[in-house]
Amino acid sequence: MGPIEGLLYGFGIAFTPVNLFACFVGVLVGTVVGVLPGIGPVGAMALLLPSTYALDPATALIMLAGIYYGAMYGGSTTAILVNVPGEAGSVVTLLDGYQMTRRGRAGAALAIAAVGSFVAGTLGVVGVMLAAGWLADVAVAFGPPEYFAITLGGLLLLSRLSGGSLVHAFVMVAIGLALGTVGMDSISALRRFTFGSVQLSQGIDLVPVIMGLYGVAEVLLLAEEGIKRASIATVRLREMFPTRGEWRESAAPIARGSLVGFLSGLVPGPAAVLSTFISYTLEKKLSKTPERFGQGAVAGVAGPEAANNAATAGAMVPLLSLGIPFSPATAILLGALVIHGLQPGPLMISQRPEVFWGFIASMYIGNFMLLVLNLPLVGIFVSVLRLPQHVLATLVMLLCLVGAFSLSNSYLDLWVLTLFGLFGYGLRKLRVDPSPLVVALVLGPMMEKTLRQALFITRGDVLDLVTRPLTAAILLIALAALIGPPLLSLVRRRPRAAAPAG
Amino acid sequence: MVERGLLLLILAVAAFYLSEAIRLPLGATARPGAGWYPTAVAVFACIVALIAAVQAFRAPVVRRVRDTGGDAPARRRRVLATVMALVAFCFVLPSIGYPIAALAFTVAMLIGLGSRWPVAMGTGVAAALGSYYLFAVLLDVPLPRGPW
Repeated sequence: MGPIEGLLYGFGIAFTPVNLFACFVGVLVGTVVGVLPGIGPVGAMALLLPSTYALDPATALIMLAGIYYGAMYGGSTTAILVNVPGEAGSVVTLLDGYQMTRRGRAGAALAIAAVGSFVAGTLGVVGVMLAAGWLADVAVAFGPPEYFAITLGGLLLLSRLSGGSLVHAFVMVAIGLALGTVGMDSISALRRFTFGSVQLSQGIDLVPVIMGLYGVAEVLLLAEEGIKRASIATVRLREMFPTRGEWRESAAPIARGSLVGFLSGLVPGPAAVLSTFISYTLEKKLSKTPERFGQGAVAGVAGPEAANNAATAGAMVPLLSLGIPFSPATAILLGALVIHGLQPGPLMISQRPEVFWGFIASMYIGNFMLLVLNLPLVGIFVSVLRLPQHVLATLVMLLCLVGAFSLSNSYLDLWVLTLFGLFGYGLRKLRVDPSPLVVALVLGPMMEKTLRQALFITRGDVLDLVTRPLTAAILLIALAALIGPPLLSLVRRRPRAAAPAG
Repeated sequence: MVERGLLLLILAVAAFYLSEAIRLPLGATARPGAGWYPTAVAVFACIVALIAAVQAFRAPVVRRVRDTGGDAPARRRRVLATVMALVAFCFVLPSIGYPIAALAFTVAMLIGLGSRWPVAMGTGVAAALGSYYLFAVLLDVPLPRGPW
């Protein structure tokens, strides 16, 4: 099925009432989650995952993905109006977005952010449509050694890009990999690290871990703040029209942000956040008036907002074509597909075209819905911020508890949630990113399986395993990314150190 | 201090994980057993946790935590109240059932965070009944009902 044919087929699926409704619920929840500081899209997706069990796989995927990209739209609203990022991908937006609000251009900033997000989201979906299909065709030829190299390389890259200390990122990866070994061994059926517990032999579920690390940890941080209400700038609909000059200033940054974001999404790591910083730096470098950045530059809002939306689309490529998630959000989407009996990967596009194409088409529809929702209804979304934070924190915590329990009606999941909530809170206080742990937990079992299969194929010859052309190329790229930056800084430092002596 | 403590705990857990992993059948490199991969992961975990711990102990003590301002004890109290409510919920849910546990949890957490009693009770009743209706009735999730 070609891209045009596939897309038309996908629209037929996405336009069914149930899928349209799922898409609407997803983008609506995503926008609200994005608007509310603290509750990120990952926690919200994990929270709503149990409610998708009764749905079709395509419908579940449509709804959960809607939360993911919807949050990027909502996050900018809080950043622009309240000077607080609604979610991590909007941190950069507030630098110039809030300054525009202070200058009375809040409406224009919101409109540019929404249109930029729409354009980038739509272009990103075109990228997914083309890249995922192509990559899936290539990936059909991949065997266990190649998959092992991709998972290992992905984890190495993620550790480098997740920000903060590399050693801390490796510690997170190690914990995730270790957690992934708990339960029944998929090859020998031997129980490992279960300590006699029947529930543990099923393994540690991803959802309570994510809910704990992101949801409960965030609630504990909100609880720390106590009773707090935000002061919010009001915006009228008639103020939501940027001037012709503002549109002209935002066009090129939106185009560049879309490209930067999509490419960032393909690489393991916090793409939605990273892409905004790259886009902002790029726009500042290309600008004839870089001194305006931080003072309310239109390009400082347009570029990063486009980038974070395109990044969410780019992140779908490795998930849909290889079945490998490189971020916690795509890990949840993978979990949703697996729960519904689907194995994302190169064969999914040909074997379950209704899921792949229905999902792609729904992203076009979702982006359009978000544009319609975010421009005229921004006042309603902002009013959510008037809900006292301590009430919000309590309700989110209760939802986390019910959500974790409802996964498999297991009390163990509640304890896992609590434990990882406390651990996540500690990590947040120490500013350590937990995403390598989550991705390692998802990729760990796949890595073990493919490594053991690959060693079996190569009769235990590790050299044969790592010197195959594709595996060698993937591992070399990952290694270069890992040791390249410290080596470069060492080379740069040497002449400086040598200068006084010379 | 928090970082050092957490890393020492992780190192201890990694060492315990290694001791459990090496008890599993290792197999051979050409045919790895159930313990081969966990042992490799455990060795990796011990090495990186050890490096991180050494780094933390060699570095000067710097407060890496967020600025807590002047009301640090009140902040700690609120977090502790939330954690206690969370742990208590996990303990009592099997015996008293979801509606009562959810009500008690919501009220306790709101009071702990500084809410007034009438607000906490009103929110608690609405949250417990609303979530029970949504999950147990509409979504058919078998939430524990307790002895009632």
